[in-house]
Amino acid sequence: MLQLVLFNLFNGLIIGAFYVLTALGLSMILNLSNVINFAHGNFLALGGYLAYVLIPYIGFWPSLLVAPLLTAVLGYIVERTMIRRIYGRDPIYSLLLTFGLAFMIQDGCRYIWGVNGLPLTTPPSISQPLSQEFFFLTGYRVFVVGIVIIAVAGLFAFLRYSRMGMRIRAGVLDLETVSALGINVRLLRSLNFAFGIFLAGLAGVLAGGQIGLNPNMGDDLLLPSFVAIIVGGMGSLVGTLLGGLLIGVAAAITTIFYASASQAVIYVIMAIVLLLRPRGLLGEEGMQ
Amino acid sequence: MSMLEVRNASKHFGSLIAVREVSLSVAKGELRAIIGPNGAGKTTFFNLITGFFPPTAGEILFDGRNVTQLTAAERVKRGMARTFQITEVFPELSVRENVRIAAEVAAGYALRPWLGATAIRDIAATVEETVGLTGLAGKSHRLVGELAHGDQRAAEIAMALALRPRLLLLDEPTAGMGEQETFEIAGLIRKLHRDKSYTIILVEHDMRVVFHLADRISVLDQGALLADGTPEEIAANPAVQAAYLGKAA
Amino acid sequence: MSGTAGAASLVPTERRPLVTLACIWIALIAAPFWMPLVGGYTALGSRILVIGLAAMSLNFLIGFTGVVSFGHAAYFGLGVYGAGMILRYVAPSTPLALIAGIVLGGVVGSAVGALICRRRGIYFALVTIAFEEVFYYIAYKWDSVTGGFDGLRGFQRQPLHFGAFVLNIEKSDLAFYYFVLAVFAIVVGVMGFVLRSPFGRTLLAIRENERRARFLGIPVDRHIWLAFTISSFCIGAAGALYALLNNFADPSSLYTDLSGELVIMAVLGGMRSFWGPLLGAAVFEVLQDYISGITVNWLFFIGAIFVLVVMFFPRGLLGVLRRRSAA
Repeated sequence: MLQLVLFNLFNGLIIGAFYVLTALGLSMILNLSNVINFAHGNFLALGGYLAYVLIPYIGFWPSLLVAPLLTAVLGYIVERTMIRRIYGRDPIYSLLLTFGLAFMIQDGCRYIWGVNGLPLTTPPSISQPLSQEFFFLTGYRVFVVGIVIIAVAGLFAFLRYSRMGMRIRAGVLDLETVSALGINVRLLRSLNFAFGIFLAGLAGVLAGGQIGLNPNMGDDLLLPSFVAIIVGGMGSLVGTLLGGLLIGVAAAITTIFYASASQAVIYVIMAIVLLLRPRGLLGEEGMQ
Repeated sequence: MSMLEVRNASKHFGSLIAVREVSLSVAKGELRAIIGPNGAGKTTFFNLITGFFPPTAGEILFDGRNVTQLTAAERVKRGMARTFQITEVFPELSVRENVRIAAEVAAGYALRPWLGATAIRDIAATVEETVGLTGLAGKSHRLVGELAHGDQRAAEIAMALALRPRLLLLDEPTAGMGEQETFEIAGLIRKLHRDKSYTIILVEHDMRVVFHLADRISVLDQGALLADGTPEEIAANPAVQAAYLGKAA
Repeated sequence: MSGTAGAASLVPTERRPLVTLACIWIALIAAPFWMPLVGGYTALGSRILVIGLAAMSLNFLIGFTGVVSFGHAAYFGLGVYGAGMILRYVAPSTPLALIAGIVLGGVVGSAVGALICRRRGIYFALVTIAFEEVFYYIAYKWDSVTGGFDGLRGFQRQPLHFGAFVLNIEKSDLAFYYFVLAVFAIVVGVMGFVLRSPFGRTLLAIRENERRARFLGIPVDRHIWLAFTISSFCIGAAGALYALLNNFADPSSLYTDLSGELVIMAVLGGMRSFWGPLLGAAVFEVLQDYISGITVNWLFFIGAIFVLVVMFFPRGLLGVLRRRSAA
């Protein structure tokens, strides 16, 4: 029994890690640019697929960095050419745009790499099981958690200490003033968007190594990521972090008792949050 | 009996005190101007009166009734109409349609599936009247979003008038306007005050407009009420001069 | 109600809306006769009317109230299942099935709307998706009643009896088309009527500027709830017709994909126009047929077209036509 509980808790941690990584990127884009990126899950898949293409040439470890980077570059191009045009308009349009984009990227992946799943080969050094008793502690899963921790720590350090990070944070609070200070807000938005996409791409590579690649792989992570943002509170990255972990663990625990409801429990949590504390755990009032 | 009475209203945003125990009383038919240096809390005070958000402390009495707990929409129903610093209108509808909606809601038709002939006529009359009053008769079929700044502001005032309010609250009505437009809006406000006897509260930066129109002036500084009196009293008040000069320094 | 182009420019401006309306209805009534000339067929016309009605019902919310629901297929799907289950389990009666679908979609939509009408933006959009997922899950899981993933079969639309006269919509595509058109006309008539009422104008107000609407004294949350309710009843009707069209009900009619497609249709045809979504539905269905005949990756092209529309033609196809005629 203990093993079962630990197994599921650990699973919850893994799932939570994926939710966190995806949700943080989504949250960054939402906070600064007020854009609801429906294509986020598709950028995630793209990251995984790019790693698939790169690994035979440059190996796993470089691909872990380069694939998300390339995805981020693509994200930058998308922001620059498409999303930037519609900033001034009603927010509904950015929603619609990323929505259409999602179709394009998903089908694009389908076209290039096929409908069926593809494996992403991970180096044997990290794929070994680490313990006989706790069989679920595979090296890869621990690796995933480790990378996510590094990425999240890096993100928070970047936002806290780097100049661009501070500008992004300031921009989230008051974009007008930031602009008035002479900072190039358009560039800031583009870079911020690229950053969020980088995180998505990274999540894609990691997910690919765990469950393989397929064009829909981002779908299962997208909606829970939005839920993580709502639960944690819009505007707060720490909130998103907590939200992602919370729903990941909740989903995993639910699996112990009622396996098929594990996705549904995420929405139940969202419903509870919206009814009892609409601004989320760490969100500000008046943002709903 | 005063039209509006504010008793010790305060508004805190966390540790920031935007409005600090302000009290004032506006009589029926009076035109009161609220002035003060930038950041004095004028718009926040306006928001308290109109129900944009509730006060942290204090009470607001409108025509003798305590409205402190009422929402903005409820206060509008009681007879408060307001315009905003950044004009809030329905940009893709015509001037007529904008005013018509206001008139219909004020007449209690917001949930009606259809109107009888009398109601239609009454609404049309209200629209005609307010559109004429605000000088938009020639442009009434144009989309409000396409009008010049000053006309948009006039349209917003027309909408406020169509609500048949007892108290009109105008937040910086001449903001962003050139000489001619300022002159026209000021003239409109004067007409509403003198000819139509509206009770009006005005937040304004343009001192010429303020001293030209106001019966009484209230001065806010750093969220608190600095002075309250006739234009002559305010003009002679050294504390008021200091507040403005201090900010300019 | 809408603009026009071409020959109608000979008509004085005041008369245009009526002329356009007449043209539209003539085209719809005569569809079974001109469709085969352009490679169509009557059943396709029925399908486009049904999907178009769904898109128009959604647009009542998106285009006219300014509120975006990404999960509205839920109430469409409930309409499908409502009608299907009546025919399968209760009685072989088309009118009853129709009413059941309308009521199921509408009542559930109304309940959901009441819960979420205070939320805005992303919160609203996500909750609509969440509820849809829940209903999809139920349809999928409760397979003893709903037939699960494979769907509900074993029912047929029944002929309509008007006293001695029988409209055999079961066998005749033509008869069924006119039945669909009649229901379409009623539902669309209701929507149009509401939009032109004082209440309808408050919805436009909310779309244009919610803050100003609030400061005119409009109880915005309540009106949004009412709009949500009305659009749910209408889309429920579309769902019921869909069940009758296919003699089949399955969870895909509840799925997020369909919600997304309806949004695409509304925007493609023109969100701000009453008839836009119908045009969008027609274009979408035709494109889907056409492009998927050429390539299996038709979603990419639909997505690309949609992105282009959002970026450059935010008023949709009808918006483009209107601008042409105004020039």
